[in-house]
Amino acid sequence: MAAGVLIGLILAGYSLFTARSASTLIVPAEDVALVNQQPVSRADYLALLQTLYGVDLSHATQEQRRKVLDDMIREELFVQRGKELDVASTDPDVRSALVNAVELEIAENAITSQPSEAALRQFFETHPDRYVSEGVMQVRDLVFPAAALGELPHEPAALKRAIGDAGMLAHLNGRDSGKTKGEEFYFAAKIHLGDELFAAARGLANGEVSQPIPLSDGIHVLDMEQNRHPVPFSFAAARAQVLSDYRNQAVDKLKLSGESFLRKRANVLIADDLR
Amino acid sequence: MRFLVVLIMAAMLVAAVFAADSYAARQLLRADPDALPADAVLLRFAVRRGRPLFETRCAVCHGATGTGDSAKGVPDLTDNDWLYGSGRVTEIEKVIDYGIRSRNPKAWNLAIMPAYARPQPSPGDKNIQPLSPSEIDDVIEFLMRQQGRPADAAAVARGAALFTGHGGCYDCHSIDAKGDSAIGAPNLSDAITLYGDGSRAALYMSIAYGRQGVCPAWINRASAASIRELALYVYSISHPGAIQNGY
Repeated sequence: MAAGVLIGLILAGYSLFTARSASTLIVPAEDVALVNQQPVSRADYLALLQTLYGVDLSHATQEQRRKVLDDMIREELFVQRGKELDVASTDPDVRSALVNAVELEIAENAITSQPSEAALRQFFETHPDRYVSEGVMQVRDLVFPAAALGELPHEPAALKRAIGDAGMLAHLNGRDSGKTKGEEFYFAAKIHLGDELFAAARGLANGEVSQPIPLSDGIHVLDMEQNRHPVPFSFAAARAQVLSDYRNQAVDKLKLSGESFLRKRANVLIADDLR
Repeated sequence: MRFLVVLIMAAMLVAAVFAADSYAARQLLRADPDALPADAVLLRFAVRRGRPLFETRCAVCHGATGTGDSAKGVPDLTDNDWLYGSGRVTEIEKVIDYGIRSRNPKAWNLAIMPAYARPQPSPGDKNIQPLSPSEIDDVIEFLMRQQGRPADAAAVARGAALFTGHGGCYDCHSIDAKGDSAIGAPNLSDAITLYGDGSRAALYMSIAYGRQGVCPAWINRASAASIRELALYVYSISHPGAIQNGY
Protein backbone atom coordinates (compact mmCIF):
# COMPACT_ATOMS: atom_id res chain seq x y z
CA MET A 1 0.00 0.00 0.00
CA ALA A 2 2.72 2.43 1.02
CA ALA A 3 4.80 1.44 -2.00
CA GLY A 4 1.82 2.22 -4.25
CA VAL A 5 1.38 5.65 -2.74
CA LEU A 6 5.10 6.32 -3.08
CA ILE A 7 5.13 5.31 -6.76
CA GLY A 8 2.07 7.48 -7.32
CA LEU A 9 3.72 10.46 -5.70
CA ILE A 10 6.92 9.98 -7.71
CA LEU A 11 4.98 9.79 -10.99
CA ALA A 12 2.94 12.86 -10.08
CA GLY A 13 6.07 14.81 -9.17
CA TYR A 14 7.84 13.77 -12.38
CA SER A 15 4.81 14.80 -14.44
CA LEU A 16 4.54 18.10 -12.61
CA PHE A 17 8.13 19.14 -13.21
CA THR A 18 8.56 17.80 -16.72
CA ALA A 19 5.12 18.77 -18.07
CA ARG A 20 5.05 20.04 -21.66
CA SER A 21 2.16 21.53 -23.57
CA ALA A 22 -0.29 19.02 -24.93
CA SER A 23 0.88 17.62 -28.22
CA THR A 24 -0.57 15.16 -30.62
CA LEU A 25 0.77 12.77 -33.22
CA ILE A 26 -2.50 12.73 -35.14
CA VAL A 27 -3.14 15.30 -37.85
CA PRO A 28 -6.76 16.50 -37.56
CA ALA A 29 -8.93 15.70 -40.56
CA GLU A 30 -9.33 19.38 -41.46
CA ASP A 31 -5.57 19.85 -41.73
CA VAL A 32 -2.88 18.46 -43.99
CA ALA A 33 0.02 18.80 -41.57
CA LEU A 34 1.03 19.94 -38.12
CA VAL A 35 4.23 21.95 -37.94
CA ASN A 36 5.37 22.16 -34.33
CA GLN A 37 1.71 21.48 -33.51
CA GLN A 38 0.55 24.39 -35.66
CA PRO A 39 -2.05 23.22 -38.19
CA VAL A 40 -1.67 23.68 -41.93
CA SER A 41 -5.22 23.96 -43.20
CA ARG A 42 -6.59 21.52 -45.77
CA ALA A 43 -8.81 24.26 -47.23
CA ASP A 44 -5.73 26.41 -47.83
CA TYR A 45 -3.92 23.43 -49.32
CA LEU A 46 -6.74 22.79 -51.80
CA ALA A 47 -6.94 26.50 -52.65
CA LEU A 48 -3.20 26.63 -53.30
CA LEU A 49 -3.33 23.52 -55.50
CA GLN A 50 -6.04 25.22 -57.53
CA THR A 51 -4.22 28.54 -57.70
CA LEU A 52 -0.82 27.14 -58.64
CA TYR A 53 -1.79 24.28 -60.93
CA GLY A 54 -5.49 24.77 -61.67
CA VAL A 55 -6.31 21.27 -60.45
CA ASP A 56 -8.40 19.77 -57.69
CA LEU A 57 -7.07 17.13 -55.34
CA SER A 58 -8.17 14.18 -57.47
CA HIS A 59 -6.39 15.48 -60.53
CA ALA A 60 -3.21 16.74 -58.88
CA THR A 61 -0.07 14.69 -59.46
CA GLN A 62 1.98 13.41 -56.56
CA GLU A 63 4.66 15.94 -57.44
CA GLN A 64 2.18 18.83 -57.39
CA ARG A 65 0.75 17.70 -54.07
CA ARG A 66 4.21 17.34 -52.56
CA LYS A 67 5.36 20.72 -53.86
CA VAL A 68 2.33 22.55 -52.46
CA LEU A 69 2.59 20.82 -49.10
CA ASP A 70 6.30 21.49 -48.93
CA ASP A 71 5.76 25.18 -49.72
CA MET A 72 3.12 25.47 -47.01
CA ILE A 73 5.30 23.75 -44.42
CA ARG A 74 8.18 26.04 -45.37
CA GLU A 75 5.95 29.07 -44.96
CA GLU A 76 4.74 27.89 -41.56
CA LEU A 77 8.33 27.29 -40.41
CA PHE A 78 9.34 30.77 -41.47
CA VAL A 79 6.29 32.33 -39.82
CA GLN A 80 7.17 30.53 -36.60
CA ARG A 81 10.77 31.66 -36.86
CA GLY A 82 9.54 35.19 -37.53
CA LYS A 83 7.58 35.08 -34.29
CA GLU A 84 10.67 33.83 -32.44
CA LEU A 85 12.71 36.68 -33.89
CA ASP A 86 9.87 39.09 -33.14
CA VAL A 87 10.12 40.60 -36.62
CA ALA A 88 6.97 42.60 -35.92
CA SER A 89 9.00 44.84 -33.65
CA THR A 90 11.39 45.82 -36.42
CA ASP A 91 9.76 45.31 -39.82
CA PRO A 92 7.28 48.08 -40.71
CA ASP A 93 5.58 45.89 -43.34
CA VAL A 94 4.90 43.16 -40.79
CA ARG A 95 3.64 45.73 -38.28
CA SER A 96 1.33 47.27 -40.83
CA ALA A 97 0.08 43.84 -41.93
CA LEU A 98 -0.63 42.92 -38.31
CA VAL A 99 -2.54 46.15 -37.65
CA ASN A 100 -4.52 45.60 -40.84
CA ALA A 101 -5.24 41.97 -39.97
CA VAL A 102 -6.50 42.85 -36.50
CA GLU A 103 -8.74 45.59 -37.91
CA LEU A 104 -10.12 43.19 -40.49
CA GLU A 105 -10.74 40.58 -37.83
CA ILE A 106 -12.75 43.10 -35.83
CA ALA A 107 -14.68 44.13 -38.95
CA GLU A 108 -15.42 40.51 -39.82
CA ASN A 109 -17.40 40.14 -36.61
CA ALA A 110 -19.62 43.05 -37.56
CA ILE A 111 -20.20 41.65 -41.02
CA THR A 112 -21.29 38.25 -39.72
CA SER A 113 -24.13 39.53 -37.56
CA GLN A 114 -27.27 40.07 -39.60
CA PRO A 115 -29.25 43.12 -38.45
CA SER A 116 -33.01 42.85 -38.10
CA GLU A 117 -35.28 44.57 -40.61
CA ALA A 118 -36.47 46.86 -37.79
CA ALA A 119 -32.89 47.94 -37.08
CA LEU A 120 -32.30 48.62 -40.79
CA ARG A 121 -35.50 50.58 -41.09
CA GLN A 122 -34.59 52.67 -38.06
CA PHE A 123 -31.16 53.38 -39.55
CA PHE A 124 -32.85 54.36 -42.82
CA GLU A 125 -35.21 56.71 -41.04
CA THR A 126 -32.48 58.37 -39.01
CA HIS A 127 -30.30 59.07 -42.07
CA PRO A 128 -32.81 60.35 -44.64
CA ASP A 129 -30.24 62.56 -46.38
CA ARG A 130 -28.22 59.52 -47.49
CA TYR A 131 -31.00 57.79 -49.35
CA VAL A 132 -32.06 60.17 -52.08
CA SER A 133 -31.65 60.03 -55.83
CA GLU A 134 -29.14 62.31 -57.51
CA GLY A 135 -30.87 65.39 -58.92
CA VAL A 136 -30.84 65.92 -62.69
CA MET A 137 -30.98 69.21 -64.62
CA GLN A 138 -30.84 70.34 -68.20
CA VAL A 139 -29.97 74.02 -68.24
CA ARG A 140 -28.67 76.56 -70.76
CA ASP A 141 -26.17 79.07 -69.45
CA LEU A 142 -26.25 82.24 -71.53
CA VAL A 143 -23.55 84.83 -71.03
CA PHE A 144 -23.66 88.51 -72.01
CA PRO A 145 -21.08 91.28 -71.84
CA ALA A 146 -21.30 93.40 -68.68
CA ALA A 147 -22.53 96.33 -70.77
CA ALA A 148 -25.71 94.39 -71.63
CA LEU A 149 -26.94 94.47 -68.04
CA GLY A 150 -28.94 97.61 -68.59
CA GLU A 151 -30.59 96.26 -71.74
CA LEU A 152 -31.58 92.85 -70.36
CA PRO A 153 -35.21 92.74 -69.27
CA HIS A 154 -35.63 92.06 -65.56
CA GLU A 155 -39.19 90.82 -65.79
CA PRO A 156 -38.95 86.98 -66.07
CA ALA A 157 -41.39 86.50 -68.99
CA ALA A 158 -39.74 89.27 -71.01
CA LEU A 159 -36.27 87.87 -70.24
CA LYS A 160 -37.41 84.41 -71.35
CA ARG A 161 -38.68 85.84 -74.62
CA ALA A 162 -35.49 87.83 -75.14
CA ILE A 163 -33.12 84.89 -74.76
CA GLY A 164 -35.36 82.76 -76.97
CA ASP A 165 -35.10 85.27 -79.79
CA ALA A 166 -31.92 84.65 -81.84
CA GLY A 167 -31.97 88.21 -83.19
CA MET A 168 -32.22 89.73 -79.73
CA LEU A 169 -29.51 87.40 -78.47
CA ALA A 170 -27.19 88.53 -81.24
CA HIS A 171 -28.07 92.16 -80.61
CA LEU A 172 -27.07 91.80 -76.94
CA ASN A 173 -23.91 89.83 -77.87
CA GLY A 174 -25.25 86.93 -75.87
CA ARG A 175 -24.03 83.34 -76.36
CA ASP A 176 -24.36 79.93 -74.83
CA SER A 177 -21.37 79.47 -72.50
CA GLY A 178 -21.23 75.76 -73.46
CA LYS A 179 -20.58 74.83 -69.85
CA THR A 180 -23.41 72.33 -69.71
CA LYS A 181 -24.34 69.60 -72.16
CA GLY A 182 -27.76 68.00 -72.11
CA GLU A 183 -29.06 66.35 -68.93
CA GLU A 184 -26.57 66.38 -66.11
CA PHE A 185 -26.55 65.08 -62.57
CA TYR A 186 -26.45 67.87 -60.00
CA PHE A 187 -22.85 67.17 -59.03
CA ALA A 188 -21.75 67.44 -62.66
CA ALA A 189 -23.77 70.63 -63.23
CA LYS A 190 -22.21 72.11 -60.09
CA ILE A 191 -18.72 71.36 -61.38
CA HIS A 192 -19.52 72.79 -64.83
CA LEU A 193 -21.44 75.91 -63.73
CA GLY A 194 -19.57 76.73 -60.54
CA ASP A 195 -21.08 77.11 -57.08
CA GLU A 196 -22.84 80.43 -57.60
CA LEU A 197 -24.58 79.61 -60.88
CA PHE A 198 -25.46 76.11 -59.67
CA ALA A 199 -27.07 77.51 -56.53
CA ALA A 200 -29.21 79.78 -58.72
CA ALA A 201 -30.02 76.99 -61.17
CA ARG A 202 -31.04 74.54 -58.48
CA GLY A 203 -33.96 76.69 -57.41
CA LEU A 204 -35.38 77.14 -60.93
CA ALA A 205 -38.47 75.28 -62.04
CA ASN A 206 -38.89 73.75 -65.48
CA GLY A 207 -39.03 76.48 -68.14
CA GLU A 208 -38.00 79.21 -65.71
CA VAL A 209 -35.13 81.68 -66.29
CA SER A 210 -32.91 83.19 -63.66
CA GLN A 211 -32.43 86.87 -62.98
CA PRO A 212 -29.26 88.20 -64.68
CA ILE A 213 -26.29 87.12 -62.54
CA PRO A 214 -23.21 89.35 -62.80
CA LEU A 215 -19.95 87.39 -62.61
CA SER A 216 -16.37 88.28 -63.53
CA ASP A 217 -16.75 86.91 -67.08
CA GLY A 218 -20.04 88.67 -67.84
CA ILE A 219 -23.75 88.57 -67.08
CA HIS A 220 -25.22 85.06 -66.88
CA VAL A 221 -28.80 84.06 -67.48
CA LEU A 222 -29.81 80.49 -66.77
CA ASP A 223 -32.59 78.94 -68.81
CA MET A 224 -33.87 75.83 -67.08
CA GLU A 225 -35.27 73.27 -69.47
CA GLN A 226 -35.71 70.48 -66.93
CA ASN A 227 -34.97 70.26 -63.24
CA ARG A 228 -35.62 67.00 -61.39
CA HIS A 229 -34.86 67.47 -57.71
CA PRO A 230 -33.42 64.62 -55.60
CA VAL A 231 -36.20 62.28 -54.50
CA PRO A 232 -36.03 60.19 -51.30
CA PHE A 233 -35.78 56.45 -51.99
CA SER A 234 -38.26 54.06 -50.47
CA PHE A 235 -36.82 51.71 -47.86
CA ALA A 236 -37.16 48.80 -50.28
CA ALA A 237 -35.20 50.62 -52.99
CA ALA A 238 -32.49 51.73 -50.58
CA ARG A 239 -32.28 48.54 -48.50
CA ALA A 240 -29.04 47.20 -49.99
CA GLN A 241 -27.31 50.53 -49.40
CA VAL A 242 -28.82 50.82 -45.92
CA LEU A 243 -27.47 47.38 -45.03
CA SER A 244 -24.03 48.31 -46.33
CA ASP A 245 -24.00 51.61 -44.42
CA TYR A 246 -25.34 49.95 -41.28
CA ARG A 247 -22.55 47.39 -41.40
CA ASN A 248 -19.90 50.02 -42.08
CA GLN A 249 -21.08 51.95 -39.05
CA ALA A 250 -21.03 48.77 -36.97
CA VAL A 251 -17.48 48.10 -38.18
CA ASP A 252 -16.37 51.60 -37.18
CA LYS A 253 -17.97 51.23 -33.75
CA LEU A 254 -16.36 47.83 -33.19
CA LYS A 255 -12.97 49.15 -34.25
CA LEU A 256 -13.27 51.99 -31.75
CA SER A 257 -14.39 49.73 -28.92
CA GLY A 258 -11.66 47.22 -29.82
CA GLU A 259 -9.04 49.94 -29.60
CA SER A 260 -10.53 51.23 -26.39
CA PHE A 261 -10.38 47.72 -24.88
CA LEU A 262 -6.73 47.32 -25.93
CA ARG A 263 -5.83 50.67 -24.41
CA LYS A 264 -7.66 49.85 -21.18
CA ARG A 265 -5.86 46.58 -20.60
CA ALA A 266 -2.47 47.90 -21.71
CA ASN A 267 0.21 49.28 -19.46
CA VAL A 268 1.39 52.29 -21.45
CA LEU A 269 4.17 54.43 -20.01
CA ILE A 270 4.89 57.72 -21.70
CA ALA A 271 8.19 59.56 -21.47
CA ASP A 272 8.20 62.55 -19.12
CA ASP A 273 8.85 65.09 -21.89
CA LEU A 274 5.88 63.87 -23.93
CA ARG A 275 3.28 63.73 -21.19
CA MET B 1 -28.26 -6.16 -12.68
CA ARG B 2 -30.48 -6.28 -15.74
CA PHE B 3 -30.79 -2.51 -15.63
CA LEU B 4 -27.01 -2.17 -15.60
CA VAL B 5 -26.68 -4.40 -18.68
CA VAL B 6 -29.28 -2.36 -20.55
CA LEU B 7 -27.51 0.83 -19.54
CA ILE B 8 -24.15 -0.46 -20.73
CA MET B 9 -25.63 -1.63 -24.04
CA ALA B 10 -27.35 1.73 -24.56
CA ALA B 11 -24.09 3.53 -23.83
CA MET B 12 -22.27 1.27 -26.29
CA LEU B 13 -24.91 1.97 -28.92
CA VAL B 14 -24.58 5.73 -28.45
CA ALA B 15 -20.81 5.41 -28.59
CA ALA B 16 -21.05 3.36 -31.79
CA VAL B 17 -23.32 5.94 -33.44
CA PHE B 18 -21.01 8.74 -32.31
CA ALA B 19 -17.95 6.87 -33.60
CA ALA B 20 -19.63 6.20 -36.95
CA ASP B 21 -20.58 9.86 -37.30
CA SER B 22 -17.12 10.94 -36.29
CA TYR B 23 -15.57 8.54 -38.81
CA ALA B 24 -17.86 9.81 -41.58
CA ALA B 25 -17.02 13.43 -40.68
CA ARG B 26 -13.30 12.64 -40.96
CA GLN B 27 -13.86 10.89 -44.28
CA LEU B 28 -15.79 13.89 -45.47
CA LEU B 29 -12.94 16.23 -44.62
CA ARG B 30 -10.19 14.10 -46.09
CA ALA B 31 -11.95 13.45 -49.40
CA ASP B 32 -11.51 15.61 -52.47
CA PRO B 33 -14.51 17.97 -52.12
CA ASP B 34 -15.24 17.88 -55.84
CA ALA B 35 -15.35 14.08 -55.83
CA LEU B 36 -17.85 13.93 -52.96
CA PRO B 37 -21.06 14.33 -55.00
CA ALA B 38 -20.27 10.95 -56.54
CA ASP B 39 -20.08 9.30 -53.13
CA ALA B 40 -23.70 8.53 -52.27
CA VAL B 41 -23.07 7.57 -48.65
CA LEU B 42 -21.01 10.60 -47.74
CA LEU B 43 -23.27 12.94 -49.72
CA ARG B 44 -26.32 11.67 -47.86
CA PHE B 45 -24.48 12.03 -44.55
CA ALA B 46 -23.38 15.60 -45.36
CA VAL B 47 -26.72 16.79 -46.72
CA ARG B 48 -28.52 15.47 -43.63
CA ARG B 49 -26.19 17.43 -41.37
CA GLY B 50 -25.85 20.44 -43.66
CA ARG B 51 -29.55 21.23 -43.86
CA PRO B 52 -29.96 22.40 -40.21
CA LEU B 53 -26.73 24.37 -40.54
CA PHE B 54 -28.15 26.11 -43.60
CA GLU B 55 -31.36 26.84 -41.75
CA THR B 56 -29.55 28.44 -38.81
CA ARG B 57 -26.79 30.31 -40.67
CA CYS B 58 -27.81 30.97 -44.26
CA ALA B 59 -31.60 30.98 -44.41
CA VAL B 60 -31.82 34.42 -42.78
CA CYS B 61 -30.67 35.88 -46.12
CA HIS B 62 -31.06 33.11 -48.71
CA GLY B 63 -34.43 31.90 -47.41
CA ALA B 64 -35.32 28.48 -46.03
CA THR B 65 -35.31 26.94 -49.49
CA GLY B 66 -32.22 28.80 -50.69
CA THR B 67 -34.05 30.61 -53.46
CA GLY B 68 -32.73 34.02 -52.36
CA ASP B 69 -34.48 37.33 -52.79
CA SER B 70 -33.80 39.55 -55.77
CA ALA B 71 -35.46 42.48 -53.97
CA LYS B 72 -32.57 42.35 -51.52
CA GLY B 73 -29.91 41.23 -53.99
CA VAL B 74 -29.56 37.81 -52.39
CA PRO B 75 -28.75 35.18 -55.02
CA ASP B 76 -30.83 32.09 -55.68
CA LEU B 77 -28.72 29.08 -54.71
CA THR B 78 -31.02 26.58 -56.37
CA ASP B 79 -30.79 27.68 -60.00
CA ASN B 80 -27.25 26.45 -60.73
CA ASP B 81 -26.35 29.93 -62.04
CA TRP B 82 -23.19 30.87 -60.21
CA LEU B 83 -21.96 34.36 -59.53
CA TYR B 84 -18.65 33.04 -58.21
CA GLY B 85 -17.15 29.99 -59.86
CA SER B 86 -19.09 27.26 -61.60
CA GLY B 87 -20.82 25.52 -58.72
CA ARG B 88 -18.07 23.07 -57.77
CA VAL B 89 -18.08 22.04 -54.12
CA THR B 90 -14.62 23.57 -53.62
CA GLU B 91 -15.85 26.91 -54.92
CA ILE B 92 -19.00 26.86 -52.78
CA GLU B 93 -16.89 25.97 -49.77
CA LYS B 94 -14.51 28.84 -50.46
CA VAL B 95 -17.40 31.32 -50.40
CA ILE B 96 -18.64 29.85 -47.10
CA ASP B 97 -15.14 29.83 -45.63
CA TYR B 98 -14.09 33.35 -46.50
CA GLY B 99 -17.26 35.10 -47.65
CA ILE B 100 -17.79 37.90 -50.14
CA ARG B 101 -16.55 41.36 -49.14
CA SER B 102 -16.61 40.00 -45.60
CA ARG B 103 -13.40 41.83 -44.59
CA ASN B 104 -11.70 38.46 -44.32
CA PRO B 105 -8.32 38.80 -46.08
CA LYS B 106 -9.13 35.81 -48.28
CA ALA B 107 -12.67 36.88 -49.14
CA TRP B 108 -13.86 37.43 -52.71
CA ASN B 109 -13.38 41.15 -53.05
CA LEU B 110 -12.36 41.91 -56.61
CA ALA B 111 -15.42 43.49 -58.15
CA ILE B 112 -17.65 46.25 -56.79
CA MET B 113 -20.37 47.71 -58.99
CA PRO B 114 -19.62 51.45 -59.24
CA ALA B 115 -22.31 54.07 -58.60
CA TYR B 116 -22.23 55.95 -61.91
CA ALA B 117 -24.60 58.67 -60.70
CA ARG B 118 -22.23 59.69 -57.93
CA PRO B 119 -19.30 62.11 -58.21
CA GLN B 120 -16.85 59.30 -57.40
CA PRO B 121 -18.41 56.09 -58.70
CA SER B 122 -15.84 53.74 -57.21
CA PRO B 123 -13.85 54.87 -54.16
CA GLY B 124 -11.28 52.18 -54.91
CA ASP B 125 -10.72 53.12 -58.55
CA LYS B 126 -10.42 56.79 -59.36
CA ASN B 127 -10.19 56.05 -63.09
CA ILE B 128 -13.89 55.23 -63.24
CA GLN B 129 -15.77 58.39 -64.21
CA PRO B 130 -19.47 59.13 -63.68
CA LEU B 131 -21.93 58.75 -66.55
CA SER B 132 -24.63 61.25 -67.46
CA PRO B 133 -28.32 60.29 -67.08
CA SER B 134 -28.70 59.80 -70.84
CA GLU B 135 -25.54 57.69 -70.97
CA ILE B 136 -26.96 55.42 -68.28
CA ASP B 137 -30.16 55.13 -70.32
CA ASP B 138 -28.09 54.17 -73.37
CA VAL B 139 -26.25 51.44 -71.46
CA ILE B 140 -29.62 50.10 -70.30
CA GLU B 141 -30.84 49.92 -73.89
CA PHE B 142 -27.68 48.03 -74.83
CA LEU B 143 -28.31 45.53 -72.03
CA MET B 144 -31.93 45.14 -73.13
CA ARG B 145 -30.73 44.23 -76.60
CA GLN B 146 -28.16 41.79 -75.17
CA GLN B 147 -31.03 40.05 -73.38
CA GLY B 148 -33.01 39.83 -76.61
CA ARG B 149 -35.59 42.38 -75.47
CA PRO B 150 -36.92 45.32 -77.51
CA ALA B 151 -34.61 48.34 -77.40
CA ASP B 152 -34.03 51.64 -79.16
CA ALA B 153 -31.49 50.94 -81.93
CA ALA B 154 -29.65 54.29 -81.79
CA ALA B 155 -29.40 54.11 -78.00
CA VAL B 156 -28.15 50.50 -78.25
CA ALA B 157 -25.27 51.64 -80.47
CA ARG B 158 -24.36 54.47 -78.10
CA GLY B 159 -24.73 52.14 -75.11
CA ALA B 160 -22.47 49.53 -76.69
CA ALA B 161 -19.79 52.17 -77.20
CA LEU B 162 -20.10 53.22 -73.56
CA PHE B 163 -20.14 49.63 -72.32
CA THR B 164 -16.93 48.79 -74.11
CA GLY B 165 -15.48 52.29 -73.82
CA HIS B 166 -15.24 54.91 -71.15
CA GLY B 167 -18.02 53.41 -69.03
CA GLY B 168 -15.55 50.62 -68.34
CA CYS B 169 -18.36 48.04 -67.88
CA TYR B 170 -16.55 45.48 -70.07
CA ASP B 171 -13.72 45.38 -67.58
CA CYS B 172 -15.77 43.24 -65.20
CA HIS B 173 -18.78 42.11 -67.23
CA SER B 174 -16.68 41.32 -70.36
CA ILE B 175 -17.22 42.68 -73.85
CA ASP B 176 -20.33 40.57 -74.54
CA ALA B 177 -21.88 41.37 -71.12
CA LYS B 178 -21.79 37.69 -70.20
CA GLY B 179 -20.00 38.46 -66.94
CA ASP B 180 -17.02 36.84 -65.30
CA SER B 181 -17.54 34.32 -62.55
CA ALA B 182 -13.85 34.49 -61.68
CA ILE B 183 -14.51 37.86 -60.04
CA GLY B 184 -18.23 37.65 -59.29
CA ALA B 185 -19.37 39.91 -62.14
CA PRO B 186 -22.87 38.79 -63.12
CA ASN B 187 -23.94 37.80 -66.61
CA LEU B 188 -26.03 40.74 -67.86
CA SER B 189 -27.19 39.06 -71.05
CA ASP B 190 -29.43 36.41 -69.50
CA ALA B 191 -32.81 36.52 -67.80
CA ILE B 192 -31.42 35.91 -64.31
CA THR B 193 -31.20 39.08 -62.28
CA LEU B 194 -29.40 39.48 -59.00
CA TYR B 195 -31.07 42.78 -58.08
CA GLY B 196 -34.66 43.65 -58.91
CA ASP B 197 -36.94 42.40 -61.63
CA GLY B 198 -34.76 43.12 -64.66
CA SER B 199 -36.79 46.20 -65.58
CA ARG B 200 -35.21 49.39 -66.87
CA ALA B 201 -35.89 51.02 -63.50
CA ALA B 202 -34.11 48.22 -61.63
CA LEU B 203 -31.14 48.38 -64.00
CA TYR B 204 -31.01 52.14 -63.54
CA MET B 205 -30.80 51.72 -59.76
CA SER B 206 -27.89 49.28 -60.11
CA ILE B 207 -25.95 51.39 -62.59
CA ALA B 208 -26.67 54.75 -60.99
CA TYR B 209 -26.19 53.85 -57.34
CA GLY B 210 -23.95 50.77 -57.39
CA ARG B 211 -24.04 47.38 -55.73
CA GLN B 212 -21.81 45.53 -53.31
CA GLY B 213 -23.46 42.54 -51.69
CA VAL B 214 -21.86 40.87 -48.71
CA CYS B 215 -21.70 37.27 -47.53
CA PRO B 216 -20.05 36.65 -44.16
CA ALA B 217 -17.03 34.40 -43.64
CA TRP B 218 -17.65 31.35 -41.51
CA ILE B 219 -14.15 29.93 -41.26
CA ASN B 220 -13.59 31.15 -37.72
CA ARG B 221 -17.16 30.54 -36.61
CA ALA B 222 -17.90 27.01 -37.76
CA SER B 223 -15.89 23.80 -37.80
CA ALA B 224 -14.28 22.60 -41.00
CA ALA B 225 -16.68 19.65 -41.00
CA SER B 226 -19.72 21.92 -40.68
CA ILE B 227 -18.54 24.07 -43.56
CA ARG B 228 -17.97 21.01 -45.77
CA GLU B 229 -21.46 19.74 -44.89
CA LEU B 230 -22.94 23.14 -45.63
CA ALA B 231 -21.12 23.30 -48.97
CA LEU B 232 -22.47 19.88 -49.93
CA TYR B 233 -25.96 20.85 -48.87
CA VAL B 234 -25.81 23.97 -51.07
CA TYR B 235 -24.43 21.82 -53.88
CA SER B 236 -27.31 19.39 -53.42
CA ILE B 237 -30.03 22.04 -53.66
CA SER B 238 -28.50 23.42 -56.84
CA HIS B 239 -27.99 20.01 -58.42
CA PRO B 240 -31.22 18.05 -57.94
CA GLY B 241 -29.87 15.29 -60.16
CA ALA B 242 -26.91 14.80 -57.90
CA ILE B 243 -29.25 14.52 -54.92
CA GLN B 244 -31.22 11.76 -56.60
CA ASN B 245 -28.01 9.94 -57.40
CA GLY B 246 -26.78 10.49 -53.88
CA TYR B 247 -29.89 9.19 -52.16
